[in-house]
Amino acid sequence: MFDLVYSTVSFASYGNAFGLSNVALSSFDILLAYIVAIVVAIIVALVLKLPLLPSKPYRYSFDVSALYPTPVIAIGILSIFLVLNYTFIYNGIILAAIIGILSALFVKYLFDFVFPKPLDESGEDGVQ
Amino acid sequence: MNEVIGIIIAAILCWLNFVIVDTYFGLPEQPGVKGARIVGEDVKKRGGDIAGGFFQGNVLCSPDASAGTLLASIGYLLLGIPGGIIAAFFVFIGNRLCGDPGYAGTIGSLTATIIVFICSFVGFTPEMFIVGMVIAILTIQGISQVRASIILGKIAQKFNRHAEE
Repeated sequence: MFDLVYSTVSFASYGNAFGLSNVALSSFDILLAYIVAIVVAIIVALVLKLPLLPSKPYRYSFDVSALYPTPVIAIGILSIFLVLNYTFIYNGIILAAIIGILSALFVKYLFDFVFPKPLDESGEDGVQ
Repeated sequence: MNEVIGIIIAAILCWLNFVIVDTYFGLPEQPGVKGARIVGEDVKKRGGDIAGGFFQGNVLCSPDASAGTLLASIGYLLLGIPGGIIAAFFVFIGNRLCGDPGYAGTIGSLTATIIVFICSFVGFTPEMFIVGMVIAILTIQGISQVRASIILGKIAQKFNRHAEE
């Protein structure tokens, strides 16, 4: 059984010497795609008038902002595309830009609908 | 690198990563979810520290930097750097589903991905970080919850994140 586990894991991580899995792009292109996704996501979020930083005591991340969670969503989804080896044209840069724009739109208009705030936000002490 | 030495160093790195990120983002200060409050008060009743109890409760009840570090190591093992970032994304979704308002999970898994990547140049493998993270969580939750909570409370005081009583 351990043999099976080992061979499965080693197959899954095959070609992983540089930590880039089965991505067909060069590492420079991947870095560029990530940077493009992050920058586009932040800029579009700012254009859509999201605040740059979350509200000050950094403990309540249900308040969306341009720096969190927009780039996280953008690079997360871009990573899924990269891992599935779907990079569209121009070495993935167009794909990165599209994902950046869409994630900013998602955060602005759909986030509260998909991830509603917990009901008892005013009273965490509601339990007592 | 020798596996045992690697696992020990990886455990220390993981411990520092998740304790620092979690403490900085205020886990000891308030219970993010309801279960965390119950765990914290129970630990206090047994003679522990309330801030450390909240920390342990938050680690237990919702994906924080500890879960983030573990999942990022697993993602890195399977898919490389994109795997670590996917883990951060999934931890973010998990946080939202738990109703946990913290930032620690996502930030923690991103920093863990960076740590695993940097350490891979020195000969560390992601497997060492997976085992190391399990050991690191064991020291927080498994051996002596009360004593661990006192240590965590002291760390929280250093960061000025101790829960007001």
